[in-house]
Amino acid sequence: MLIFDQLKRSDPSLRTLALLVLAGLGLLLAGLGYLQVFSSRHYVESQKNQSFRTVRVPAIRGQILDRDHRLLAESRPSYNLNLYLDELSKLFQQEYERQRPGRRLSRAAKERLGQQTRYTVASNLVNQVGALLGQPLRLDPERFQRHYDQSRALPMTILDNLDATNIARFLEQPGRPPGVDLEIQPLRYYPQRTTAGPLLGYLRRDETSNSDDDTFFNYRLLDFKGVVGVEAAFDQELRGKAGAKYVLVNNLGYRQAEHFFSPAEPGLNLILTIDARIQKASEDAMRASLGNNARAAVVVLNPRNGDLLALASSPSYDPNVFIPRVSVEEWRTLNDTNLNPTVNLATYGFAMPGSTFKIVTALAGLEANLLDPHEVFHSPGFSQFSRDTAPPGDYDFRRAFIKSCNTYFIHQGTNMGKARLLEMGHRFFLGERTEVPNFQEISGIFPTEAMMNQRREQGNPWRVSDTARLSIGQGDVALTPLQVALMTAAVANGGKMYWPRLAVQIETPDPLSPTVVRSFPAGRLRGNLGVAQQHLELVRAAMLADVEDRQEGTGYRAFVAGFRVCGKTGTAENKQGGRLVSKDTWFVSFAPYESPRYVVVVLVKGGGGGGVTCAPVAQKIYQAIQKLESAEPGKAGHLVQN
Amino acid sequence: MYESALNERQRRVDWLMVAAVLGLMLLGVIFIASAKMAEETARQVPWYGQFFFKQIVWCGAGLGLAGVTCVLDYRVLSRWSLVAYGLLVLCLVAVLIPGIGTTHGWGARRWIDLGPLQFQPSEFAKLGFIFALAHFLSRPRKELRQWPVFGRALGLTVLPFVLVLLEPDLGSALVLLPVGLLMMLVAGVPAAYLQRLLAGAGLLVALILIDVLFAPPGWQIKLEDYQRRRLLVYFGRDYAPPNATAAERQRLRDASSYNVRQALISVGSGGLTGKGWGRGMQSTLGYLPRSVAHNDFIFSVIAEEKGFMGSVTVIALYGVVLFSGIRTAGQARDRLGRLLAVGVVTLIFSHVFINIGMNIRLMPVTGIPLPLLSYGGSSVLCFLIAIGILQNVHIYRKSY
Repeated sequence: MLIFDQLKRSDPSLRTLALLVLAGLGLLLAGLGYLQVFSSRHYVESQKNQSFRTVRVPAIRGQILDRDHRLLAESRPSYNLNLYLDELSKLFQQEYERQRPGRRLSRAAKERLGQQTRYTVASNLVNQVGALLGQPLRLDPERFQRHYDQSRALPMTILDNLDATNIARFLEQPGRPPGVDLEIQPLRYYPQRTTAGPLLGYLRRDETSNSDDDTFFNYRLLDFKGVVGVEAAFDQELRGKAGAKYVLVNNLGYRQAEHFFSPAEPGLNLILTIDARIQKASEDAMRASLGNNARAAVVVLNPRNGDLLALASSPSYDPNVFIPRVSVEEWRTLNDTNLNPTVNLATYGFAMPGSTFKIVTALAGLEANLLDPHEVFHSPGFSQFSRDTAPPGDYDFRRAFIKSCNTYFIHQGTNMGKARLLEMGHRFFLGERTEVPNFQEISGIFPTEAMMNQRREQGNPWRVSDTARLSIGQGDVALTPLQVALMTAAVANGGKMYWPRLAVQIETPDPLSPTVVRSFPAGRLRGNLGVAQQHLELVRAAMLADVEDRQEGTGYRAFVAGFRVCGKTGTAENKQGGRLVSKDTWFVSFAPYESPRYVVVVLVKGGGGGGVTCAPVAQKIYQAIQKLESAEPGKAGHLVQN
Repeated sequence: MYESALNERQRRVDWLMVAAVLGLMLLGVIFIASAKMAEETARQVPWYGQFFFKQIVWCGAGLGLAGVTCVLDYRVLSRWSLVAYGLLVLCLVAVLIPGIGTTHGWGARRWIDLGPLQFQPSEFAKLGFIFALAHFLSRPRKELRQWPVFGRALGLTVLPFVLVLLEPDLGSALVLLPVGLLMMLVAGVPAAYLQRLLAGAGLLVALILIDVLFAPPGWQIKLEDYQRRRLLVYFGRDYAPPNATAAERQRLRDASSYNVRQALISVGSGGLTGKGWGRGMQSTLGYLPRSVAHNDFIFSVIAEEKGFMGSVTVIALYGVVLFSGIRTAGQARDRLGRLLAVGVVTLIFSHVFINIGMNIRLMPVTGIPLPLLSYGGSSVLCFLIAIGILQNVHIYRKSY
């Protein structure tokens, strides 16, 4: 180097200086290289930690539609008024400066003053907004402080779910206070209110981490998850995939900028087999006949493929009350231990089937060739095992069925024995889950071999009296309305047991050309009864007579002119210590007789009698269906496909 | 050739050094703009009120002064050196008097208020000191071996040192020591004297450090609170009162090492190539305190936005300035010029080393500016005058 050559010659002290400078600059370079090249990653990480806040942004929840794409649940924009703390930080500081006394403050005093001045500024603004909206608003100091401490980087909501008037008031008034603005947030909305409430289920605010989120989030924006019903069963699909954004925060923790790194993917739409009109008709029918507080359920399905057209439960509720949060009073009503509106009785309610079970007893006897439909049986009007509502007299099968003669069927049941009875029940899959996707299904009770062994071990073996009671649907048997409906469907369709279908398909939310992501095939066969057609026809004819025989039929209240309804009533008695406590009443039916397209099953807990209480409900439903079919004659087949 | 040899004046400045100096000033202006951008945009400061513009004005004024300095022969200038030294010592005394010196709201009394301008005498004291010491030492080597002469040279160094220390401005005071030491070495003061001096000073510093770091409170010498804190932080110890809780201890440690930690994050996160001009998050988000990002910590802004490449560029520019300064010293016509050049080079080098070292935790935090890059009128003027002196020595160098 030029300089060093000269220095060597001239003098050593300058060389010392040069070496010193060289060493110093070299040391700096080495240090910088170490920091900026070798350990840069560490510092990038530290920088992220101190200035990035990740925020989970929930996706827009998918719609739930009925079979004709009528909206049952959607997400619609809701408007919140937010306080943007980052924009207020300057005001906070000004107020702080204004209030600061001349003397020196301790750290704690400074903090207290800061807290106090921040609250003053924010609460003044909130009051201004309140005046603007003509509605007194108050900022809760504790909530404000908590938000300041925990989520300073995010805006704070001071009023949610603004209605149109308030939005207009806020936007159109001049002199809007600084740092306050509207924010749009998608919220669940159920346009049909209480219709299908217990079927759809409800949502709950979700603050927990989700297994599908692999990122760590500092903050989570309000999200919901399905708790029960269809909302819960298809939660993953409806929910979509949450997005993520990060907020850059400055040294005071206020937001400086926002960026998305993955946008939220909206949830998928779910198409149900339900017909919203029939669903509503079922609920209206229950309300009209039974009042608002009856515990009852209706199942309407298509016997040709097991498609559920209505799955109604009374009392219903409006799932909108859970959005954005459920009030204490509402929650108390919903958890009423007697009415339990959140429990869908159609799938989670069960009751002894009562006389409706005589369908099973009859088929078991006919198949075993032990029941001769023409044989006349003389009933004394009572049996050693049970009272009888049917008067004493002579009964053939048809008369016994429509007058629901207990003595006749007890005779048949005890005659053929428990094995044949149970075997026929199992062919109907009684006491087994139907796997309906609503997150709320109970299997019910139907005796099995294992249950009998257990009873024997407990010193309470199965007796003839048990068989007698079972043959009229009493005792150790309890079925859900859905199970009974599928049983009825098999009788109507010639012996096919279908899996019930609730969902048609799941598709992308694209409004113009939705792509089907997953479809559920119709008419999935679960089993065949293997019962002779003429035996089924005998039962069907008897069911028709039960409704159409005005003299003797118990189900005549379900009669609909021009729509030949076939039915069977049932009244199960709940006894405690031999004393009658309440009755569970049934009406199972299908129509029209010539080509069954609908199965309607009605269960009323605590009713008076199957014919009196339930048959009128079924009648109203059939009338509504008849009206719907005649309103669109060309689409008669559309209401119920194949 | 003859003409110029006879004339003794070659009238040529050292263009390489000038280019490096201009480069440094340009970088300074550019990154002061970046460091202040977020704040100034937010406050809607007009362009002529912004820091980078003020820095341009200071640079212009400084270049003017540097021009004046290099035109006048340094031998003429040095005749006034003792007068200047005296005046500056007076200023340093005056700044300590409450009515005259202002604190700018900080703990230390470093500024003299001149209406719209404040001036920091300690910056100019460094120049006056170099001039005076060079003048004093440029006597025959023989005399320098005499103890009384050496003692007076020492006195010339210690007087401003103590006065600046009293402000208190430990950083600026400490810078005077290597400058004095190296000037004496180059002037020919016997190495043995200097070694003894160094050993003595080292011992004293060690004693002070041990006292500050380990002694019970009653036995410690009086340092300003923040100075004590900075020293403790540099040596990785906390200064919480003995009865403090763990959380309080942690808080104090975090608060005190805050600047250094943020500077380290700035420098480290810059990586090889940096984030780009105006994109340094540390200064835009305010983690690097806004009050220091554009002056004492301007280097970390450059390092974050331009990465290791930027750092190397800065150090290379300083390298050019320093080595051409050393060459000028080697070519100086007389001992006075040589000593002046050595003084200026050492002054610049000390500032660079301490300031950049502070950014990468090599040195404790002291508020001394990075020459020509940091924002600040006094500092820019002082260093440009210093460059002017170097050029002056260069222009009047030996012609052979």
